[in-house]
Amino acid sequence: MGKDEDKKEDTTMADATKVEEKTEEEAEKEAVVVPPLEAAALRLEKSLGAYQSSEKDASSYSYYSNPAKVVRRWLSTSSGASGQATLEDISQAAQALLDPATTTKLELLVTSTAMTTEDDTTPPTYLKAAAIQVQTWLLSLKARLLWRAKDTTAAVNLCQEGILLIMTTLEQATNSTSASVSSLFPLNARLWRWLALATEEGAVLRVDMAKAHNMALLRRDVDTAATLLNCMLRDLLQNSQVEQAQKLLSNSTFPETASNNQLCRFLYYSGRIQALRLEYTSSYSNLSQSLRKAPTNTALGFRIAAQRLLVVVQLLMGEIPERPVFFTAGMKQELEPYLLITQAVRRGDLAVFTKVVSEQKERLQADETYTLISRLAHQVVKAGLRKLQVSYSRLSLQDVADRLGLASAQQAEFVVAKAVRDGVLDATLHPKEGYVQSHDLVNVYATKEPAEAFHRRIAYCLTTHNDAVRAMRYPPDAYKKQLEASRGNRRRRGGEDKTDEEKAAELEDELDEDY
Amino acid sequence: SPYYHHHYIMSSLNDIVSQLETCVTNQDVDSGKSLLPQVKVSFLTAPEHTALAAQGLECGALLTLMEGDLEAFSRLVALLLPYYHNNQGASSTTTAKQHLIVGLHLMQLLVEHRLSEFHALLEILNEKLVSTEACLSYPVGLERQLMVGLYDEIMSTPIPHASYQFFVNHYLEQTVRDNIADGMEVSYQELTVSEAAQRMKFATLPELQSYVQEHRPDWIWMENPGSEAVLSFAPVDTTVTAADIGADDWIQQSLQYATEMERIV
Repeated sequence: MGKDEDKKEDTTMADATKVEEKTEEEAEKEAVVVPPLEAAALRLEKSLGAYQSSEKDASSYSYYSNPAKVVRRWLSTSSGASGQATLEDISQAAQALLDPATTTKLELLVTSTAMTTEDDTTPPTYLKAAAIQVQTWLLSLKARLLWRAKDTTAAVNLCQEGILLIMTTLEQATNSTSASVSSLFPLNARLWRWLALATEEGAVLRVDMAKAHNMALLRRDVDTAATLLNCMLRDLLQNSQVEQAQKLLSNSTFPETASNNQLCRFLYYSGRIQALRLEYTSSYSNLSQSLRKAPTNTALGFRIAAQRLLVVVQLLMGEIPERPVFFTAGMKQELEPYLLITQAVRRGDLAVFTKVVSEQKERLQADETYTLISRLAHQVVKAGLRKLQVSYSRLSLQDVADRLGLASAQQAEFVVAKAVRDGVLDATLHPKEGYVQSHDLVNVYATKEPAEAFHRRIAYCLTTHNDAVRAMRYPPDAYKKQLEASRGNRRRRGGEDKTDEEKAAELEDELDEDY
Repeated sequence: SPYYHHHYIMSSLNDIVSQLETCVTNQDVDSGKSLLPQVKVSFLTAPEHTALAAQGLECGALLTLMEGDLEAFSRLVALLLPYYHNNQGASSTTTAKQHLIVGLHLMQLLVEHRLSEFHALLEILNEKLVSTEACLSYPVGLERQLMVGLYDEIMSTPIPHASYQFFVNHYLEQTVRDNIADGMEVSYQELTVSEAAQRMKFATLPELQSYVQEHRPDWIWMENPGSEAVLSFAPVDTTVTAADIGADDWIQQSLQYATEMERIV
């Protein structure tokens, strides 16, 4: 198969170059299939090559003012090819595309000895513009395959070699080749991610990750910085170091221009840390944002994890999640224990709740939500008391104890007294007669509650609107060019108009004090 | 020679630690305190003796509790916690007193109301241990009881170790009593003094009286000739004043809406 593939590739390249001289009989040749990995690599070569040639031609702007963006887009389009690649495919592609003379450490990718084809008419065409990129890409693919095959030491080794390769390229880069420098950033991020997943020595890697994160920030390498931040948070959370994770979170800023998937992960980790530290409101908003931004067709595992945590945080805040949430496609089985727990919380019966939790204990421990669920005891009591207050105007304390699953009327008395103090319900206890009397329900529209609820929603809509306006980006250079042209006209007329940007900046300065 | 030096330190450290253990048993705080600095130095400087030094530090921690010095206790615990975490291995126990010290630290966090640290520490601890070790399950259960309001359970649960008595005496009784009193004040209109005393776990009426005079000046102690005295709680002031409208918030919100609308339009 190898020889045939090499031959086919040579034929395809030959076709492309000789297209003007093509005779009819050549055109009738059936279309040959280029192996997908190599096709993808050739596409990248074309894109990056176009950029490099236009860089020398400085007068014309090319579309690719951002090589990192090119590589990112290319990575997503080639994910189909990379998802199906095997170790052999990688080896072949490496042999076909990478020039042995200039490529260091080619032996990492090439598994079998060099294959010679008998009728090797045209010399293999090696990549020039995209050589390092494709090499590191192939390294990351191979690392992923090895990790999936549980060969973690080899995967770790490959990732480290890849990162080293990128680092040396970056160091040797001069200004004229700045294009190739930033185009390596997304690949660097990938290698770090596989390294973090594959490694088992978490503590040692933490120091390296922190250093690499700093350097990435200095280089304005948004992809690597975001990826490393998420990897570090994941590592700390897996070792239950909540306080340290919180410190990391508070000392670092997540870059705004990072990819959506990294943002989703970051929001999930922030939400988890906040839930563990009892900051339920901010945790809830982070987790719901993460779910909203998550891809709808894929990433089912991530969405399940986020949804699970969201349900738990909602329960901890005292709200009952809606029933349809538990029946979302693909999540029904995963969320089943949480449905049972939600039902127990709604009933308000402490004894039933304890029973359900102890039955589901192993499942919850596997999901790492057991500690959070154990905090729900007082929410159960609150929910139960509220139900009773709404349905009865007067209820004997013994009945309260029975319905809430408490031990005695005396205990029920204490619990109700505490609830009244906490503002959960509005009632008076009559100990002699042994009942609790709830006060008439206050007309809620006479209080500030509706205004507060409206304000929360309005603030959210306004923030979304402002974010959307800020996110409307024009290619900044093109805009400025037009602006220069129009301002040139205006200047001749003698006015002094500020640009929209400057006006907006002024407004923001004024308003910053209010916020 | 270094071998002799190492041996010398080892044996003297051994002596010190055993002396500390005796101090703990005899509740001899002062002599324990004088031995402690040497143990601290060995803990920090001699890595091969950390296991032994850790035991010494634990004794020191127990002694500080006997004296009631919570700050010194915190400092020693801050040294010990990372040691436990790094040297746990498969057995999850490094020294005999590990669970006791961790449990006491949890109690400290609870009474100082540092709840997020309390829960963060719980995350790190092994699940099974927390449910089986009495030293650890006591603070966890206590937190639950305080949150739900099961004050009678608190008073009846036995403490797992004598050193917990410090927290119970100085903080718990007071906290629980204050909580119960707060609850009583808003949920009852009046109570007979004997009932009040029973709920707040006062043994005698004069105790209740002194508590009311000291901490609850707004409660009214009404003597009823012929029957029991009654404790009446001052009615909640329901008159609404201008300040209650909370106009500041609304003004600020409306101003925000106005500026945002101007931006859009």
